[in-house]
Amino acid sequence: MLRASVVERFAIAVAATLLALLLGSVVVAASGYDAVEFVSSLLYGAFGSTSNVAFTLRQSTMLVLAGVAVAVAFRAGVFNIGVQGQFVVGGFATAVTILFLAPMLPEGTVGGVLLMVLGTLAAILAGGAYAALPGLMKAYADANEVITTIMLNFIASGVVFFIVDRYLRPAGASAPNTENFPEYVAFPSLVFDSASFSVVGLGVALATVLVVYVVMARTRFGYDLVTSGHQEPAAAYSGVDPKRNVVATMTFSGMVAGLAGAMFTIMILGYYSDPSTFPRFGFDAIAVSLLAANNPLGVVPAGILFGGLDAGGQYIGFTLDVPPELVDGVVGLVVLFVATPELFRMAARRTGLGGDGR
Amino acid sequence: MSVVDYAARNRLRIGGTAVALVALAALATVFDLPVADLLTVGTAERALRAATPIALAAIGGLYAEKSGVFNIGLEGFMIFGALSAAAGTWLAAGSGSVGQTDLWIGIVVAIAVSTLLTLLFAVLTIRYEADQIVAGLAVWFIGLGFGPFTATVLWGGVSSPTLPNIDNVTVPLLAEIPVLGRVLFDASPLVLFTVLLAVAAWVVLYRTKYGYWVQAAGENPEALDTAGVNVNRVRYAAVVFSGALAGLGGAVLAIGIGSGFTGTGVTMVDGRGWIAIVAYLFGNYNPLGAFGASLLFGATDMLQVQFQTVGISLPGSIVGLFPYVAVLVVLNLVGYTRVPAAVGESYDTEE
Repeated sequence: MLRASVVERFAIAVAATLLALLLGSVVVAASGYDAVEFVSSLLYGAFGSTSNVAFTLRQSTMLVLAGVAVAVAFRAGVFNIGVQGQFVVGGFATAVTILFLAPMLPEGTVGGVLLMVLGTLAAILAGGAYAALPGLMKAYADANEVITTIMLNFIASGVVFFIVDRYLRPAGASAPNTENFPEYVAFPSLVFDSASFSVVGLGVALATVLVVYVVMARTRFGYDLVTSGHQEPAAAYSGVDPKRNVVATMTFSGMVAGLAGAMFTIMILGYYSDPSTFPRFGFDAIAVSLLAANNPLGVVPAGILFGGLDAGGQYIGFTLDVPPELVDGVVGLVVLFVATPELFRMAARRTGLGGDGR
Repeated sequence: MSVVDYAARNRLRIGGTAVALVALAALATVFDLPVADLLTVGTAERALRAATPIALAAIGGLYAEKSGVFNIGLEGFMIFGALSAAAGTWLAAGSGSVGQTDLWIGIVVAIAVSTLLTLLFAVLTIRYEADQIVAGLAVWFIGLGFGPFTATVLWGGVSSPTLPNIDNVTVPLLAEIPVLGRVLFDASPLVLFTVLLAVAAWVVLYRTKYGYWVQAAGENPEALDTAGVNVNRVRYAAVVFSGALAGLGGAVLAIGIGSGFTGTGVTMVDGRGWIAIVAYLFGNYNPLGAFGASLLFGATDMLQVQFQTVGISLPGSIVGLFPYVAVLVVLNLVGYTRVPAAVGESYDTEE
């Protein structure tokens, strides 16, 4: 995938998405539903009305953040499949910080902003620390990070559920939820009138993309990260400690994942709950990052595309009787096709649509 | 590889296991745990049952990796296996009650479906040189999506209705052997099958010509090619075998020891495919070692039941995490395993 040119990457991304959607429609038709209605509802659910657009952007915000987290690691040649777990731990840190500090700080806007800033910082720290674990395991015990991060996802969900259920659930509550945050801990609803989406959240995501892009492209740290991903001997020659670099990469990636958790907790939830019921942003983010060829800037369009797919998929779940899980499957197909550029190269050569050899 | 050789090559592994056992013994003494109650025939029986799906996927996975293809999609193939076993059984039973024949039909369907899907995976990774890690992850995501999707189409919800288990089989005479008899020969036929398969897989891998081909395909494909064997054909066979076994593992989970397909959360497979990968790494790609490691994970999986029977009160949600913690401990302990040299590289014959 790294050999491909920008144009080719873009073409592969588009072809992979279209092919996955096409296969999804075939599955829909084969299960006895109306494929045309499926596609048109998907589009309407994503972009058909103001509230649908707000929902798309809300999902996109999360996917862009989580996608950047994945991209940071993949760029440096480390597979961080644990974004979901870091996202869960980060959001949990936000919730605990806000609930613990709320009684000590003044009420109103000042207190709200302070709580949100502190909660977000806690999430970034917690996400980074949780991601440092598999980094350390990979660097110093040679443990495969794909497997350690997946195990840590399970562990994060289990432990956080246990703490929320046992210690943070208000007396007499039937669901394993924490108390709601105070009303003043929320983003102002600008532009869109939505309880769970604010342009502020999207702004945070876009700002994060810029920061990560600048760090990766313009700083020594980012340079070391990317060279050691592509050319480990060269990086080692220029004085990069590969072990420390792995830990740093994972930590950086986990910090962004933690930030995603903070946005989810503050903007969408307004309390904390059983993590196993959360959307799997951390996994879909892998598709987002791959589609963007692990480029932090490319994550924005890819994140919006998947946000739209996600919103459209949920709309379908409400209106048609096509199960929304189908969209998860389509996302998986996109990942599969993006992993197989050779398939499209060959198809392009056969049909004569560009693709002048490798 | 003889036992002595194995011991010499795996000092760290054996030392680590010994340290873990001593630590467990120390814990048991300090906290005065009723060890005798924990280590019963019932424990062994449950551990073996819980190990079966993991061991099946692990044995398949190690063949694929030995041949040069890292099948990281085991978890996904297990989901497809579990789903198609439940679906096959349910469809075979029709409107009547589910009989034993229907369950066996479900198993056959599960193997058929997962074989077909792995063939597609093999074409993408071998013929079209897909990134093996990413493609394997994709298989998982596709399983997580299409598994519950298919369940909803069939049953109107993400899980199947409750299905019965495959009956235990009692082998006459052999079942009379103390302990072993009850654990192996008066148990689910799938458990006995898995034990026999582990032995057969060992014999094939280390004692037959075909086993050498598999090993050569992963270590030195050029040499195998020079010897006139089609490398990619060996790889196709190994990968399809791994998917078929993972599918069977999923089927065992759904209708061999469980009671249908559960599609909530990360489905009922719940990480067992990933644990299977660690099991064969811990077993150093040796089918018997992989089986032993699966037993270890099976036992941690069953700790919850054990703790309850002896009256140790730990919250279930925490005890349920033991297998995942065990995977982390094992991975850190095993550290560097010597991966077959050509894993992850596609092989093109010079034409």
